[in-house]
Amino acid sequence: MAAAGIKLHPACRVRQEGFGLLFYDSRGPRLLFAETGSLLPADFFGTVRRKDEFPEGLSERQKNTLRSFLAQLIEKGFLREQPIC
Amino acid sequence: MSNRFVEAGLRAPVNLTWEVTLACNLRCEHCLSSSGEPAEGELSTAEALSLVDQMHKVGVFQINFGGGEPFMRTDFEEILDACHARGIMTCISTNGTLIDAGLVERLSRTRLVAIQVSLDGAEKATCEAIRGAGTYDDALRALRLLAASPIPTSINTVLTAQNTTEVPALYDLAERLGVTLRVSRFRPSGRGSDNWEALRPSPQQLLDFSNWLESRGDVRTGDSFFSLTAQERQGLGLNLCGAAKLTCCVGPTGNVYPCAFMQLDQFKAGSLRERDFQAIWDDSEIFASLRGLRIHSCEDCRRFDQCHGGCPAVAYHLKNDIEGGDPECLERCVTSIAEKAAAA
Repeated sequence: MAAAGIKLHPACRVRQEGFGLLFYDSRGPRLLFAETGSLLPADFFGTVRRKDEFPEGLSERQKNTLRSFLAQLIEKGFLREQPIC
Repeated sequence: MSNRFVEAGLRAPVNLTWEVTLACNLRCEHCLSSSGEPAEGELSTAEALSLVDQMHKVGVFQINFGGGEPFMRTDFEEILDACHARGIMTCISTNGTLIDAGLVERLSRTRLVAIQVSLDGAEKATCEAIRGAGTYDDALRALRLLAASPIPTSINTVLTAQNTTEVPALYDLAERLGVTLRVSRFRPSGRGSDNWEALRPSPQQLLDFSNWLESRGDVRTGDSFFSLTAQERQGLGLNLCGAAKLTCCVGPTGNVYPCAFMQLDQFKAGSLRERDFQAIWDDSEIFASLRGLRIHSCEDCRRFDQCHGGCPAVAYHLKNDIEGGDPECLERCVTSIAEKAAAA
């Protein structure tokens, strides 16, 4: 069975803002303002990622924060899970 | 809605209203831009495609096309294709008269387009009194074609005194057709200004609509009715005017304005023929002024957190004072009805 990956929902977009990431969901439409600073670049969401895949150089604490953040994005429908392969 | 981030200023609009032409084959009584003949010096195809490129570079998520009737432009599909090739989502506001099976098939090839077809009454007579003869059947024909396609489609109704009682029937009609309903606020701009007194909903009608809307979470309003919604509709976050903060408007000749209802010289932020979009968004004085606008006279209102003073465009058109608060907000509707009852 392929490992679970995450990907931006096709109805959603994301871009970098001064405060962090701005997510847009055209289905609402609705916005999500994520105060992530420069922790995660917007192009991180440009491809399918493994759930435990993060940019290099992050501390365990930062990774834990991002794990929780990504779980929220899945729950809110901005990200969706799909197999990697 | 996180007003803190919005008021600090985003690096680009979230979405953009682009009135690609003033040309229209209809002469609707409430038209916000008095459409009919094309404007002198409308953007050429090359200029329009350059604008799409700029929108992509600054990170605009969605472009909402209006007019005029967008499909009157012979290069409109080329402009749409350029948006979709760059991943920009689009929404087209159309009267439906030029939509045929071939067009629907071509638009269905992308999953990035949504379409709103204007219909201003559940009854043919109501709709055609505002939009003209033949418009009801044309709109229904277009809606049926679109409903059979994968394109997300909605009926777009501008709320007027004449059609407020038909909104529930429009909701049912949309459901029967397999589309959704979007209700837009009537504002006194363009021909809407000329016909304001005849078409404006009364305070009681606005209040009744507000109550109905509260129980219909699936009815879209855009940001039209944030000042009227009795309670912030969960998840929609419509509690402030987004002009110059979340959105702006590009007119047919490339002039940039805070919103489609403020396409007046005094609100012009710049021309895309003179400056690029990012420079206008970042440096325009009128945009800076709207971002800093605070409706102090409304701050003590119990509903302030839900509307932040309402629609500055309506305040300007009716009272010539964008700082005066929305003259037709829910609170003022309630007050007006109470005063009338007391006087009687």
